[in-house]
Amino acid sequence: MDMSWDSWGMLACLCTVLWHLPAVPALNRTGDPGPGPSIQKTYDLTRYLEHQLRSLAGTYLNYLGPPFNEPDFNPPRLGADTLPRATVNLEVWRSLNDKLRLTQNYEAYSHLLCYLRGLNRQAATAELRHSLAHFCTSLQGLLGSIAGVMATLGYPLPQPLPGTEPTWTPGPAHSDFLQKMDDFWLLKELQTWLWRSAKDFNRLKKKMQPPAAAVTLHLEAHGF
Amino acid sequence: MERARQLEKYLCKMSVLQTWLVQALFIFLITGSIGVLLDPCGRINPESPVVQLGSNFTAVCVLKERCMDYFHVNANFIVWKMGHFTIPKEQYTIINRTAASVTLTDVTSLNIQLTCNILTFGQIEQNVYGITLISGLPPEKPKNLNCIVNEGKKMMCYWDPGRETYLETNFTLKSEWATEKFADCKTKRDTPTSCTVDYSPVYFVNMEVWVEAANALGKVTSDHINFDPVDKVKPNTPRNLSVSNSEELSSILKLTWINSNIKNVIRLKYDIQYRTKGASTWSQIPPEDTASTRSSFTVQDLKPFTEYVFRIRCMKEDGKGFWSDWSEEASGITYEDRPSNTPSFWYKIDPSHSHGHRSVQLMWKTLPPFEANGKILGYEVTLTRWKSRLQNYTVNDTKLTVNLTNDRYIVTLTARNAVGRSDASVLTIPACDFQATHPVMDLKAFPKDNMLWVEWTTPSKSPNKYILEWCVLSDKSPCIPDWQQEDGTVHHTYIRGYLAESKCYLITVTPVYADGPGSPVSIKAYLKQAPPSKGPTVRTKKVGKNEAVLEWDQLPVDVQNGFIRNYTIFYRTNIGNETAVNVDSSHTEYTLSSLTSDTLYMVRMAAYTDEGGKDGPEFTFTTPKFAQGEIEAIVVPVCLAFLLTTLLGVLFCFNKRDLIKKHIWPNVPDPSKSHIAQWSPHTPPRHNFNPKDQMYSDGNFTDVSVVEIEANDKKSFPEDLKSLELFKKEKVSTEGHSSGIGGSSCMSSSRPSISSSDENESAQNTSSTVQYSTVVHSGYRHQVPSVQVFSRSESTQPLLDSEERPEDLQLVDNVDGGDGILPRQQYFKQNCSQQETSPDISHFERSNQVSSVNEEDFVRLKQQISGIPQSCGSGQMKMFQEVSAADAFGPDTEGQGERFKTAGMEAVLDEGMPKSYLPQTVRQGGYMPQ
Repeated sequence: MDMSWDSWGMLACLCTVLWHLPAVPALNRTGDPGPGPSIQKTYDLTRYLEHQLRSLAGTYLNYLGPPFNEPDFNPPRLGADTLPRATVNLEVWRSLNDKLRLTQNYEAYSHLLCYLRGLNRQAATAELRHSLAHFCTSLQGLLGSIAGVMATLGYPLPQPLPGTEPTWTPGPAHSDFLQKMDDFWLLKELQTWLWRSAKDFNRLKKKMQPPAAAVTLHLEAHGF
Repeated sequence: MERARQLEKYLCKMSVLQTWLVQALFIFLITGSIGVLLDPCGRINPESPVVQLGSNFTAVCVLKERCMDYFHVNANFIVWKMGHFTIPKEQYTIINRTAASVTLTDVTSLNIQLTCNILTFGQIEQNVYGITLISGLPPEKPKNLNCIVNEGKKMMCYWDPGRETYLETNFTLKSEWATEKFADCKTKRDTPTSCTVDYSPVYFVNMEVWVEAANALGKVTSDHINFDPVDKVKPNTPRNLSVSNSEELSSILKLTWINSNIKNVIRLKYDIQYRTKGASTWSQIPPEDTASTRSSFTVQDLKPFTEYVFRIRCMKEDGKGFWSDWSEEASGITYEDRPSNTPSFWYKIDPSHSHGHRSVQLMWKTLPPFEANGKILGYEVTLTRWKSRLQNYTVNDTKLTVNLTNDRYIVTLTARNAVGRSDASVLTIPACDFQATHPVMDLKAFPKDNMLWVEWTTPSKSPNKYILEWCVLSDKSPCIPDWQQEDGTVHHTYIRGYLAESKCYLITVTPVYADGPGSPVSIKAYLKQAPPSKGPTVRTKKVGKNEAVLEWDQLPVDVQNGFIRNYTIFYRTNIGNETAVNVDSSHTEYTLSSLTSDTLYMVRMAAYTDEGGKDGPEFTFTTPKFAQGEIEAIVVPVCLAFLLTTLLGVLFCFNKRDLIKKHIWPNVPDPSKSHIAQWSPHTPPRHNFNPKDQMYSDGNFTDVSVVEIEANDKKSFPEDLKSLELFKKEKVSTEGHSSGIGGSSCMSSSRPSISSSDENESAQNTSSTVQYSTVVHSGYRHQVPSVQVFSRSESTQPLLDSEERPEDLQLVDNVDGGDGILPRQQYFKQNCSQQETSPDISHFERSNQVSSVNEEDFVRLKQQISGIPQSCGSGQMKMFQEVSAADAFGPDTEGQGERFKTAGMEAVLDEGMPKSYLPQTVRQGGYMPQ
């Protein structure tokens, strides 16, 4: 009797989940989006952006010219300290909670987007400008996506501090080479962040899946 | 008077206004801001209304005080017009002294010109203001909004705009993210149902899209759609599709291609289709086999050595979005495999085989490509005679002729290609004395679906296979059979190979058993029948009085075009209706009965197949009046009866001949035999003649006729001899005339003519010659006697005796036919009948009678005459002339002529001059006036 109630309950639960699954848009503003799809989508987007950036970076570095476009060019990181750092200790990364993880991503991309827009203004060729503009739009989309996930999970968006509003202010002190170096590091950091975000969202995605798996296992145990 | 002046003033003002109007309007249009140059008398509200079709509309015309005062009108004077049509007063509402409204109900026109007018001076309509009323419909909510993202291009959305609004309607595509709005996409005028945004969509970020439709009557928004642009993607087509085969497996082909770049972003699934070259329908690779991103695929279960054509397309793996376009087609050929079937195998024995040996033609069919599985490089034939060694042949052709003994042979055939050999096809050629048995039963052949099907019942003994042979039956060409092999399990098949319509095919089915072929069974069939191309030629075999036996030949198979099911004989008389008789197709003869005798019949014949008939030529025959033998049946008895009657009649007559004779030929006594004949009138002339002769002998010259023939007046003497000769010749041609003279001499003796001698009267007078008769022979010289005048002497004196005794002469004529007439009379008679000589003879006779010439003398004389050389016959006339000439010029003549002359002279001399009336002629050396 008890078991029967249990199985009926599980079935109802499964039915509810199945019922809602196809009707969940990732950025449903009216609510109940379910974090899974939007996390998956954000993950896909990071991958898409990563792919996009790869070709964009190639074009841009060629635009910058040697030595920036050389494959083994690996300069020391100078003066790019304002860029948010993607690299982090593995243990620290593992220990990040969802909110912090998402917040770090959101903040990083907010800054990077800002810098990127500066890059866009400098670009010489129309094609490059167009590619950069599209990438900026995409990055904007990623930001919105992360914001969406955070909203789904009930986390507040980090409020940008008035003083730390990232602005691209190319100082007159910057030489052309240093300017190019900054551009190089921006693209490199952006790439690192996209790799990290992919991992972040993959982790989040996996984290969000277990309940459904448990249901399946449970049902299997009951001999379905 | 005052009013009239006002009116005139107004009219003047109006005309001025009118001339200004055009200019003013122009200025008003270009300098709207300067102000209103033309100050209308009033205004309509609203100025440029747009109303919904079918709704009501109210307009108000407000007059200006100045105008009202000027024209002495108020709102009651307002007249509304719609184009040229005055709107009825019932639709007006007077609001106050200056304003009146009109209400139009259920506006249906799209464009209405509405004017407000005033009636001045009670009758003159004055336009105050006008507006254009535009009507239409508010936009409908756009439906079925959807977007498509062609890979690498911008997003395009499209929708269904709904009903026609009749107004300018703008569609705006709006799109936004949760956090951001994108620029509106405004439709172009020529594509109001789609819009392409001017930004590249960002995949994996949901966006919301909707359409706003707006016109003067309203604005409406479609449902919002929210989607991830990646779910609306139409990927680019996979490129560089190529096909490669495998030597190891003849049933596979490997496809490779290059995916579009979107494979880096999304996972793809594929749709691969293939078909054999030349086929029209595509086969599909099961979709589950190609449901993931890949760049190659191996297609299995293909036929060996077959060319296949492939094409591919892709879409997002989850099925969201759109299929790409089909790739270009690529083809490849699977590798060869060993022939999968044995060739059809049959043989033919040459009927003219020599003793102990026979020539056998082995024949086989090339394998169809799907069984050959490659290029057939050759065939191998082995021949095994009972307990003897194998004979091997390698043949490239599809036939082989071998000489076999009369023993039983087993022949095997294999086809070979690059990969291997087919299984062996085995055929037993039985010994010479083999008796074929077990034929198929119930063989049927029928056309179906434009094919000729053959159906049979399996014989009791189950055969290994069947051989079907067929050929066209024709009188023109021999039966050259084609053949096909069928498996031992089938019992119906269709003839494979080209078959012509309306040709008779002879189909033979032979079951083939392990020990040799069974008995063949044949059947005739048509793929499609047609009416015969020629009708049968009918003719009569026998025509009777009331019936005719018709016969015809069977149509040659070449013109039959189908199975002749029956014949129809049509026959008719010239005027009668046509009668048709159906005759079974097995007949070649038919008897038409109840025909009318002595009638022309036209008969023709049609032969019918299942598909129709064809008339043959018309044949015409006439039925005889009488049946055969009928005439004989009538004529023979009639003739017999007639003969009998005649015979009887003859017999009767013979029997009663005396009686008949008595009636028909009464016995008339022969007067000649009577005693009275002794004193009959015949006798006295005879007696009288003698005295007359006596008279002649007494020198009476009257009885002597001198016939003077005037050949030509101007005859020259030196030509005499010649003339004589000519005369002699002429005798032949003038015989008739002579006879005429003779005849007339005969007649002259009986009827002395007086009248006829009138003509010659003068001539005789001048010549003082008693001319008894003159033949004017004008044609003598010219050989053509044109006119002959027989002149008789008018002189009656010498003939007085004759005249005095007309009976005598008459009697001469009468006595002609009588016997026992005196020689002289006989002589006369001969003269008349033998006209050649009568005039001359009579003359000479007469002259000779002086010396009492008898008949013998006459004959002699005659001989003399005929003996005259060169003067015989034709010269007679001449001779008499000669005689007369000789009489006149005696010394000149010589020979016969002399003799005649002498004779004549003698006669003359004998007769004595005094009694003659022609003394000059006969008088020797006498004068002749000619």
